[in-house]
Amino acid sequence: MSDDIVNIEINGQPVTAKKGQMLIEVTDRHETYVPRFCYHEKLSIAANCRMCLVEVEKAPKPLPACATPVMDGMKVFTRSAAAISAQKATMEFLLINHPLDCPICDQGGECELQDLAMGFGRDVSRYNDRKRVVKDKNLGPLVSTDMTRCIHCTRCVRFGQEITGIQELGTVGRSDQVEIGTYIERSVDHELSGNIIDLCPVGALNNKPYRFGARAWEMVAKPMVSPHDCAGSNLFGHVLRGKLKRVVPQDNEAINETWISDRDRFSYEGVYSEDRLMAPLIKVDQEWREASWAEAIEAVRDSLRTGVSHEGDALGVLVSPNATLEEMYLLNRIARHLGSQNLDHRLRRRDFSDQSSDPDVPSLGMPIASIDSLNGVLVVGSNLRREVPIIAHRLRKAALAGADVGFVNPEEYEYHFASAAYVDAPLDRFAEKLAGVVAAAAETTKTNVPGSISKILADVKVDETARSAARILSENDRSLILFGQIAARHPNFSAIRRLAAVLAELTGAQLGFLPEGANAVGAHLAGILPHRGPGGVELEEQGRDALGMLASPRSVYMLFGMEPDGDLADCALAEQALKAADKVICFSPFVTQSLLDCSDILIPLGTYAETAGTFVNIEGAWQSFDATASLVGDAREGWRILRVLGNELELPECDYQNASEVSDALAAELGSGAIDSALSSRAGISLQSTDVADLTLDVPMYAIDSVVRRGKALQSTQIAAETREGGSEA
Amino acid sequence: MSIGWLSEHVREEIDHWVAKFPDGRHRSAIIGALQAVQHENKGYLTPELMDAVAAYLDLPKIQVYEVATFYSMFETEPVGRHCVSVCTNISCMLRGSDEIVEHLERKFGIKLGESTPDGKIFLKREEECLAACCGAPMMMVDHIYHENLTPEKVDKVLDTLD
Amino acid sequence: MFKNLIKTFLLTELGKGLSVTFRHLFVRKVTVQYPEEKAPQSPRFRGLHALRRYPNGEERCIACKLCEAVCPALAITIESDVADDGTRRTSRYDIDLFKCIYCGFCEEACPVDAIVETRIHEYHMESRGENIMTKDKLLAVGDKYADMIAADKAADAPYR
Repeated sequence: MSDDIVNIEINGQPVTAKKGQMLIEVTDRHETYVPRFCYHEKLSIAANCRMCLVEVEKAPKPLPACATPVMDGMKVFTRSAAAISAQKATMEFLLINHPLDCPICDQGGECELQDLAMGFGRDVSRYNDRKRVVKDKNLGPLVSTDMTRCIHCTRCVRFGQEITGIQELGTVGRSDQVEIGTYIERSVDHELSGNIIDLCPVGALNNKPYRFGARAWEMVAKPMVSPHDCAGSNLFGHVLRGKLKRVVPQDNEAINETWISDRDRFSYEGVYSEDRLMAPLIKVDQEWREASWAEAIEAVRDSLRTGVSHEGDALGVLVSPNATLEEMYLLNRIARHLGSQNLDHRLRRRDFSDQSSDPDVPSLGMPIASIDSLNGVLVVGSNLRREVPIIAHRLRKAALAGADVGFVNPEEYEYHFASAAYVDAPLDRFAEKLAGVVAAAAETTKTNVPGSISKILADVKVDETARSAARILSENDRSLILFGQIAARHPNFSAIRRLAAVLAELTGAQLGFLPEGANAVGAHLAGILPHRGPGGVELEEQGRDALGMLASPRSVYMLFGMEPDGDLADCALAEQALKAADKVICFSPFVTQSLLDCSDILIPLGTYAETAGTFVNIEGAWQSFDATASLVGDAREGWRILRVLGNELELPECDYQNASEVSDALAAELGSGAIDSALSSRAGISLQSTDVADLTLDVPMYAIDSVVRRGKALQSTQIAAETREGGSEA
Repeated sequence: MSIGWLSEHVREEIDHWVAKFPDGRHRSAIIGALQAVQHENKGYLTPELMDAVAAYLDLPKIQVYEVATFYSMFETEPVGRHCVSVCTNISCMLRGSDEIVEHLERKFGIKLGESTPDGKIFLKREEECLAACCGAPMMMVDHIYHENLTPEKVDKVLDTLD
Repeated sequence: MFKNLIKTFLLTELGKGLSVTFRHLFVRKVTVQYPEEKAPQSPRFRGLHALRRYPNGEERCIACKLCEAVCPALAITIESDVADDGTRRTSRYDIDLFKCIYCGFCEEACPVDAIVETRIHEYHMESRGENIMTKDKLLAVGDKYADMIAADKAADAPYR
């Protein structure tokens, strides 16, 4: 142990460091700031900005702290005359070609170069020649460029090489002609590319939709949680006078490290979409008219009372999996109070046959951060990079560290690491192909499978790829099956899940789910399920699931935060059912023609940015947040609307004063009882191929929910264009 | 795919270079590959050819572009048939390379880094020491050294080109 | 005590005072007959605000918001956006004259000499809302008094 430790001295203070650490890591740990541009914790060391030069005793010249490993007895001076003069000289060179356009630069006020120029720059430049000018590059709709400002730290280039795995930017040319760019004009298309905006220490790469929108110092940063995927990335929303101006990542090593997906970063544009519902609307004699809140709530109450008076079964409640925990809990209470068990958040699921054996919560079964250290992962039915980009990044990290990663997918999606096995499982033969892997696992581990399964497995062909996929799980001690959304939307979902569970059992792997929406786990906790109440308590009287309540139309529907023409497995079926219903009450942030056509009351709902709430992510972390932006128009926070509605409906104990009281109430109801995330399926399955020809199970990344669909910049990206083309062909 | 742009000979040449480097370090073969490709394409590279090299080596295209734009021996724009590089480094400069350059520029009516309109001659933008200081001033025409230059000698050499 | 008594009875203080009054009847007058006459002003006088343009008519203001940041009275409100020609411009520039304390910091902070305080000090408002100087009003002031502002700037330049 002691061999690993070296003693060094920083500015006269004796400190210990690990062998092989770079000086800058040690100084950072001891709160001695060394200026830097190219060094970044998460990226490799380039040592090309030279800003971190420090004096080291007995070294003839100043050394770059980021690329100098510690040595025993080293004496480092970060603020000696020699160090400061080296840093000042570096700064002078950096500023030679840097334009003096800070007043119009979006980085102004949060710029590393600006900050360090205050400390190490000269007041007056000694350089009297022409500054160089570099042509701006067009990197697509998300990242704006002002390449003259670039100081060639190559953080963006290294980000491409190391984090995304696809190098899109490079250093073109050399010496004073060097430029960062793509050489041939193209956009940066990776779903994490937006992070180069944060990485860029100057204003060369910036946020395009936010361009010139505000200054860094006048905005208030408020913590938020990603509303689009189940990882629950931590964000900061930057707000100016109540308006959300941009979204940046909040460091959280346990979840998103320092990255966020472009979807989380740019979806806020959807909040200010032109089709926001500004006031409650009521349909009277086939005419829409604006109503006051009191009128609207009364109308909702009356239609619920009259419609549901004879039997609770007449009401169907469909809830977006992106709703907050508070909204879900209140909806659960209201629906049950009215005697209806028909409520569901699994909007795109097609197969509910085995729902009684659903796990209490569809969780990952392990902390997100521990994906990094897995050594065997099999992804089942998931376009992972599009579904949960942050998990895909973790998976890539694991793969680069030596983990075997295999896929059972209908299509070979692009991953920037070598896959250990790819089982080509077309949608109509998906279960059969997965069964092949299970059979291979049974063969290699020489374990018996449950009787009902073994009969089915007997007829399944086992090929070499299935064997290698099974080996990924059986031969690695820390292995995981990632069960994705394509599999979850499959018409034969129950069989696929059962097989995955058997596979996990056989190989000792963990079965982790990647459910759709930001709060699917929360929905399970809050009881937005037809067959279970809060905390997974089995109900005696079971309601109808998302598909069932549309297939046999109800007379009253409540749609919460979802759009019937985009968020459902079968939109045509929904249209029929909603048109046939007596009353359709929509709680929606947006108003569209199809909502006007199918509904009777439209209640303006605050989006994720405007409401306080809680999302529970797949590792079970309850992440609460306050409202970030002011509500648009006359919209209200969902939990507030539902609380008032609860009062109107005489729901007992419904006098919550704030969102946290609602989640506290749910937490109290859940008690300390352990949430069982194990799957308990024992049902028989069939591998029979279902008719899946017309189904799009892989919902495009930027069509996943109503806010993202309205993000202008996201909709003009290459990813959106590709999926649109793909969609029109199919 | 775009690998089709590469001739059989070029592919052999690239394979030869790849074999010289350890496994997984085939990025190092870009220089050799580009030299071979440029030699077959009248002395310059096109984006298609660079893409082909990237595809053949299974590297991101940008990594090939980076190398091609970094080294002065690669041209990424069409140039004249005959590449004339005059050394202007210290020894040659002391022995009068500036006059040679001036003579060339006047003779062809173009500046360094440009090609003659008839596509015959290309004057390399800047050539560093070619290790023939003993015969300064010197120039290289299509990879052949000509030393102890005078304007007359330059004329004699260049006029024999087709 | 006795001296004071004499002073009081003989009204000497009154006489002294009146002597000043009578003396000044014959001294040169210093009263300025405002508004017919006006007191001299410094080119640095800080009165009504104006937004300036470049000689080619282009707005100077680039929406850097430094004036908004420096304003101690929070009198300035700016919204910025990308203009049609791709440059950074204000979409709103309001100064609340009721909040403004005429400190001139906005003028000092401006990197392009766009916002200035002119020597205009005779202005009034008749109804609510007129105290807000919008971008159009500020530009109009700047256009109208462009020459005067330029002359004042030039006069002050040697001292900067």
